[in-house]
Amino acid sequence: MKVSKVMTAKEAVAKFINDGMEVAVGSFFHTIAYDITHEIIRQKKKHLTLCAPSANEHFDQMIGAGCVDRIVSSYVWMEVFGPLYCFRRAMEKGIPHKIEMEDYTNFSMMMRFLAGSLGLPYVPVNSLKGSDMMNNSSWMGDNKVKLMKDPFGSGVDHALVPALRPDIGYIHAQRADEEGNVQMWGILGDAPYSMRACKQVIVSVEEIVTRDVIGRDPNRTIIPGYKVVAVVEAPFGSHPKNSQGYYGVDRDFIFKYIRESRTEEGWKKFMDEWVYGVADRTEYLKKYIDTFGMKKFLSLKAKDMNSSSVNYGY
Amino acid sequence: MNDKYSDFTLTEIMAIAASREIKDGEKVIIGTGLPLLGAFLAQKTHAPNMVAIYEAGGIDCRPLVTPLSVADAVLVPGAAMQGGLLEGLSIVHAGELDVGFLGGAQIDRFGNLNAHVIGDYKKPKVRFAGSGGSNDIGAGCKRTVVMMLHQKQRFPEKVDFVTTPGYFSGSGQREKMGFPGGGPSVVVSTMGILRFHKDTKEMYLESYHPGVTIAQIKANTGWDLIVADDVKETERPSPELIRILREEIDPTGLFLKKQ
Repeated sequence: MKVSKVMTAKEAVAKFINDGMEVAVGSFFHTIAYDITHEIIRQKKKHLTLCAPSANEHFDQMIGAGCVDRIVSSYVWMEVFGPLYCFRRAMEKGIPHKIEMEDYTNFSMMMRFLAGSLGLPYVPVNSLKGSDMMNNSSWMGDNKVKLMKDPFGSGVDHALVPALRPDIGYIHAQRADEEGNVQMWGILGDAPYSMRACKQVIVSVEEIVTRDVIGRDPNRTIIPGYKVVAVVEAPFGSHPKNSQGYYGVDRDFIFKYIRESRTEEGWKKFMDEWVYGVADRTEYLKKYIDTFGMKKFLSLKAKDMNSSSVNYGY
Repeated sequence: MNDKYSDFTLTEIMAIAASREIKDGEKVIIGTGLPLLGAFLAQKTHAPNMVAIYEAGGIDCRPLVTPLSVADAVLVPGAAMQGGLLEGLSIVHAGELDVGFLGGAQIDRFGNLNAHVIGDYKKPKVRFAGSGGSNDIGAGCKRTVVMMLHQKQRFPEKVDFVTTPGYFSGSGQREKMGFPGGGPSVVVSTMGILRFHKDTKEMYLESYHPGVTIAQIKANTGWDLIVADDVKETERPSPELIRILREEIDPTGLFLKKQ
């Protein structure tokens, strides 16, 4: 029996996330660890570099709270719901302070993570070539992307992007065991490569299960336990985004955030209420039910659509 | 057919024009919003064998309800394969897909798209989302369909920032990049349908939507837009198509009522 890595979000963030770290924030619309994000904000972490191909309100909230100096990303917006106003205020007006950004594309970000996870120094991509992302960079300067003539003689120039190997990554998932073997299903987003590229991983999950449950379906594991330093049990931890098989996207709550964060005052009020005003995810959940009612909460619950099981026998 | 389907909005005509760009059996990567409606409509009508791919990693998705996002949970049950962004975009990068949908804040005379900034990149007047998968789709898909709000500031002669290259500044330039994809084939705007000249790669007006004049389109374009000799009105959608769009594809009016 290995040592349990189970701890609270408060303990995990205090122990493993330090000011100035490069942090990969895992997944894409689905299974985003809002519990960890809110803890980072409450613990007033500073000078972080956040990395993710596509980023939603979790980036916005950390930017607004002053936790972020730099972003490595390809998309910071809330899709059809609308813009992320803290991101825009920071980029356009330097509020609460100026941030720097390195713009990539979804695929080139994924390839940077893939290279990181493989231990390769760089990879060639078709993306970026001919775009203004090639000749505009921030702190990375000439090391953001380089053009190189194909050494195999095709006559084409390749865009080379460097491996991304963040200090730490965090992500939400459906389940993990106490050792940190993580299982996820549904839309994997930037996982598993974003997390495999990191030196260490914090995972928050809907449920902690036994090692035996993991071993009965090992193909569903996306991160092996040895990479994981903390396992946090956080039901509803991805709200207002979804967790396949547990709950759906809370469209009303996303619209509420976009609407209220339009002004700095509105954003502060939202954060006082939903982040600073609650101690942890349990209080957040209680507040949600007190505010919107049990009926609304239950309406988010996912229907049962079970897969047929497979035979791993030999 | 009931009279209530004989009228249509510009949003509906755009969704229908988008659907017409998809041929049966094609592999299509679908974006959020109008392209989603267009692709669903194509699948329900003339292109039942279309393979619908979403960049978040769903391949041959057959959702029962219209998804809100390219990463909506409703895309997962029923898909032939579900991975993540790398699985969704690697097949784009490899040049295996026929059609990709794009949008942006600006498009220029040669189909270059801007999804980054208005003004200077380092000191933007307005900062937008960034590429997402746009640049990847533009480089990799055999052809791309661009959906645009047709306004003068969105159709400048030259975009403020090239997020996704079209034909750069004319013929022969895209080829040097070695992209597997061929570039934009059409722009479906809120005012008309525009294509690119086969030799010069310059955008021209193919058709104007019902109720819109050529003069209005030219006035809302930031350069002297070429008009095709055989320019005509955009084909009016049949009441049956409108019915499918409203009743089966967007019954809650989430996309269609926006305008």
